[in-house]
This record gives sequence, C-alpha cells and structure tokens, in this order.
Amino acid sequence: MQNTGTVQEWSRMGTRGPWQSTGRDKLFRFIGISLRYAILIFFTLVCITPLFWVIASSLKTTGQIAANPLGFPTEIRWDNYIEAWTVGRFGKYFKNSVIISLPIVTFVILLASLAGYGLARLTFRGSNFVFVVFLLGLMVPFQSIMIPLFYILKDIRFLGTYWAMIVPSIALGMPFSIFFMRAYFSGLPQELGDAAEIDGCNEFSVYWRVMLPLAGPAVSALVVLQFMGAWNAFLLPLIYMQKEEIRPLVLGLMFFRSRYTQNYPLTMAGAAIVMVPIVIVYLVFQRRFVQGLTAGAVK
Amino acid sequence: MTTAAPVRQEQLSPRAKRKAIAGWAFVTPALLIYAFFFIQPFFYSIYYSLTDWNGADPVKQFVGLGNYIKLAGDSLLWQALGHNLIWVIIGTISPIAIGLLLGVLIWTGAQGRIVFRTIYFLPVILSEVVVAIIWNWIYHPLFGAVNQILGAIGLDHLARGWLGDPKTALLALLMTAIWSYYGFCFVIIMAGLQNVDISLVEAATIDGANGWQRFVYVIVPQLSHVLTMITALTLIGGFNVFGIVFVMTQGGPGTATQVIATYTYRKAFQESQIGYGAALSMVMTLLSLVTSYIFIRLRERQES
Repeated sequence: MQNTGTVQEWSRMGTRGPWQSTGRDKLFRFIGISLRYAILIFFTLVCITPLFWVIASSLKTTGQIAANPLGFPTEIRWDNYIEAWTVGRFGKYFKNSVIISLPIVTFVILLASLAGYGLARLTFRGSNFVFVVFLLGLMVPFQSIMIPLFYILKDIRFLGTYWAMIVPSIALGMPFSIFFMRAYFSGLPQELGDAAEIDGCNEFSVYWRVMLPLAGPAVSALVVLQFMGAWNAFLLPLIYMQKEEIRPLVLGLMFFRSRYTQNYPLTMAGAAIVMVPIVIVYLVFQRRFVQGLTAGAVK
Repeated sequence: MTTAAPVRQEQLSPRAKRKAIAGWAFVTPALLIYAFFFIQPFFYSIYYSLTDWNGADPVKQFVGLGNYIKLAGDSLLWQALGHNLIWVIIGTISPIAIGLLLGVLIWTGAQGRIVFRTIYFLPVILSEVVVAIIWNWIYHPLFGAVNQILGAIGLDHLARGWLGDPKTALLALLMTAIWSYYGFCFVIIMAGLQNVDISLVEAATIDGANGWQRFVYVIVPQLSHVLTMITALTLIGGFNVFGIVFVMTQGGPGTATQVIATYTYRKAFQESQIGYGAALSMVMTLLSLVTSYIFIRLRERQES
C-alpha cells in the first residue's frame, strides 16, 4: 500500500520537486511505481494485441494481409464476415450452438440446484455417499469416458443428433455444479426454510419459492460458467458431432480453417464470429464469471 | 441389519421421514443422468481396456492385461508422456508465477485493478480453437508477429516456422497455453490475496523485511491453500491437454508434439484400436486421480 498516493505527495511538495526532498528513497519509489505499471501494462498488451490482430485481419483483403500483416486495415472490408456467415455456413453453426447451449445450461441449473438443495438441506441416509459419488466426478477427466460414451450414444441413437452433445454435457456438468450449489444452499440460514414450512409449504415449494430465488447469485454464476463451457466445448463435439448439419460453431470453425488454410482474413472473420458472443457475455457478467471460478478455489 | 433398520425407522419423526423421501426425490434426476452418461461409461472404459476390439466387430476379444503390457513397451506413448511432463512442468510454473507477480503488484497498491482483471482474464474465456487460430497466425512463417518482430529488430536469422520445427514446436504450443491460462491463475490468486492479512505484511515491513522477504515469508505462506489448488488444477489440465495441440499441430511435425490425449484420440478414433485407446485413457485417469489424491492429502495437512 505504501506506494499509492506518491504522486499526490509530489504535487504537494510544490517547487522543490521530489528528488531533493527526501533523496534516494523517493527515487526508488518512483522507479518502483514505474516498473510496477510497466509490468502490468506489458501483460495487458500481451493479452489484447493478439485479439486486435484477429479483428484487424478479419477486415483486410488477402492482399492487404501480405502487405501489412500486423497493422490496422487500410480500408475496412466486411465481406469476410458475410462470406463466413453464408458460404462458410457460420450462420447455421451459430444456430446449432444456441440450440445446444440453451438446454445444457437450463438442465444443468435445474438438476444441479435440485440435487444440491437435497444434499444440503434434506439430509437422508446415504446423502453423504451420494455426494462423494458426485465429487469423484470432479477428478475424472472427460477422456476417461469418451470412448465408451461414443458407443452408448450410438446404441441409443443419439449420434448425429443434437442430443449427442446436450445430454452428455448435462451429465458432465453435474459434479461441479452440484458441489457449487450445495455449498451455497448450506450457507443460507436454516430459519428461512422452516418458516415457509410452518406456513404450509411442502419441500418442493420451499425449494422453488424460497430457496432458489435466494440462490440467485450462485445460479447466475453457474449460468455464465456453463454457457461458456457449452459454447467453447471442443473435444466432445469433435467426437460426437461430426455430422456437418449439427456442428456447433467451434467445430465448424476448425473444419472451416482446414478448408481455407490460405485465406487468413476469412479464417479470422470466422474466429471473430466465435469469439465475440462469449466476450460480450463475459464483459456483461464478468463479476459472475469471476465469482463462479473462484468460489471453489478459495474456500 | 434386519433389526437395526426398523428401529431407525421408528426413531425418525414423520417430518424427518418426509424430508428423507424428498431428499431422494431431489437427487434422483441428477443421479440418473450422471449414472447413465458418466459412471456407466467409466466402468465400460475399464472393461474395454481389457479387450481387443476394433469398434465394429460384434465380439470384444478379452485379452486381460494385454493392452497394458503393450503400453509399457510403446515408445510413442513414452515419448508422448515425456511431452506431457515438459508441458506440466513449464505449463504449471510459468502461469502461476506470472499470476503471482501480477496479483502481488496489483494487491500492493495499483490503480485500476478491475480494468487489469477484466483484460487479463479475456484470453481465458476463448475457445481453444480460437486460441489456436490466433497463435497459428502469430507463428506464421511469413506474416506472423514473431518473425515480423524478429525481422524488424534485425534478428532475421532466428526467424523460422515455429510450429514446423520439431525443436521449437512444443515450446511454441506451451507459450500459447500459458497465454490462454495465466489470467485464470491471476484471478484465483487475487481472490486468495483478499484473505491475506495485510497487517502481517506491515509488521514485517516494520521489522525490516525487504520486498522479496515479505513476499516469500509472509504473503506466499498465506496463499498456500490457493496455490496448491491451482497447482493441482493446472497439473490435471496439463496431463489431459488436447485442444490446442490437436488444432495447432495435430501432434506433429512427426510426433514432436504428440501428447497422451492426442495419441489416445488417434488410436481410438482414427485407427479404431478401441481396446488400446481405452487403456491409454486409463493412464490419463490414473494420472488425474493420483494428482487429485495428493492434492486432497496436502489440503488435509494444511488444515490440521
């Protein structure tokens, strides 16, 4: 904390300036502050510049890319987006991603909040065992189940349909979401539910009318996390969603890129189409994002 | 047991009994879908790994531990595991170090922490495919930023096709992974720093500790919880890394960037060696479980 306010101190010192006033100490502080901001700004640029290149390149022609690969486009060309959206079928893939993500998010929230509530508030014989079974899922990577899951989905005729991604994603979302919701429900005061019960609510209406609305912050954190997970998922659709008509955006982008390897502006426009929705969701809900991600880690 | 159960039933009040039934009703939908699409395939993985199957034959030939014996002598697997090891070491230390550096710099008094946090986290939310496309572009032999910058500062002789050169490909991929991940470490560390007792840091300053000493002896110990947590998460992520490698190099050139996940994918889904692929996926499972177990034990020790 000792470094904040130094600039104000200098201005109060008036004509004497910082150097003569307290000598070497002040000089060190000045270097310290400069170094601190230099590092912070360096990493800011490291994060942002590549994203700038995506947008800038997506607005160029192939000729412009060759002449000026890293700078601003000299003349903005939206055609790449139109081409990616129509010829590249990104419009179709975008729709697929929405069709896939919405039920995943809805059902993960619904099932996980029910189960999390049950495990937190309605202790029953075996509830600890059930919780541990869910927790074990946190330690098992998707790769451990991906091969047999392919044949299970094939047997129940889900392969080649949206269900092949929706249903497994709901199952895969359970461990973390239940852990998360259970922790939140455990933290809510017991009296609230009891009062509602005395007023004649049954277990389900206590959950639905009293507890779930109170869990708003946890639910919205989970919504953004699950949405990001569903939108960005890659390995799962790569294995189960190969059919062209049902591909989500991310997978569409991968195949698109291998088809148009040499057309960088077009590829970049595709990347931007995938990237922009998630960036917008992030910027709008960023507090929720951070809450969700840090909740498990810091407790 | 037969006598114990009714006794317990009698002890339960009607309210507790109602709650127990409701509890099961609340948990069952999640449990069913989880059991069918997660637990079931997990046990099938173990079973498949004990068979020789090409995915099409009606018969799965049971071979016992045959696949696992084959694993032990598979030099491609050992090479891939070696790459995972490099990945895990560099890919764990670097983003955590960067996250710590940025976290402490901001925590000890910088303006605009929300702005920095927003920006540092931005790469974390991007899909692996987008990240791969961005970095393929950065490493592009002709137009890529790396070679352009090297050319601009007169180091043309260092320019190369970073992903095409077996000597640099793995490190180039690692740089990409670090870029897309340090923001995550930063955010978690920032959250952990909120719980650090600043008066201890001030006390150490008064006692004459310099900045580095305060960092090592006062701040880091108080962050140990958070640091073990992200180390475990990052290690598991490193053992299972797939997307970035698959999209950027497909494990190549040759097998220079093959990791266990891309190797498993190739065996199971491109060469239809389902049994062998399942055995490989069990190796990944084992690595994740062992890491989680060590993490849980460490956590218990920290708590006691």
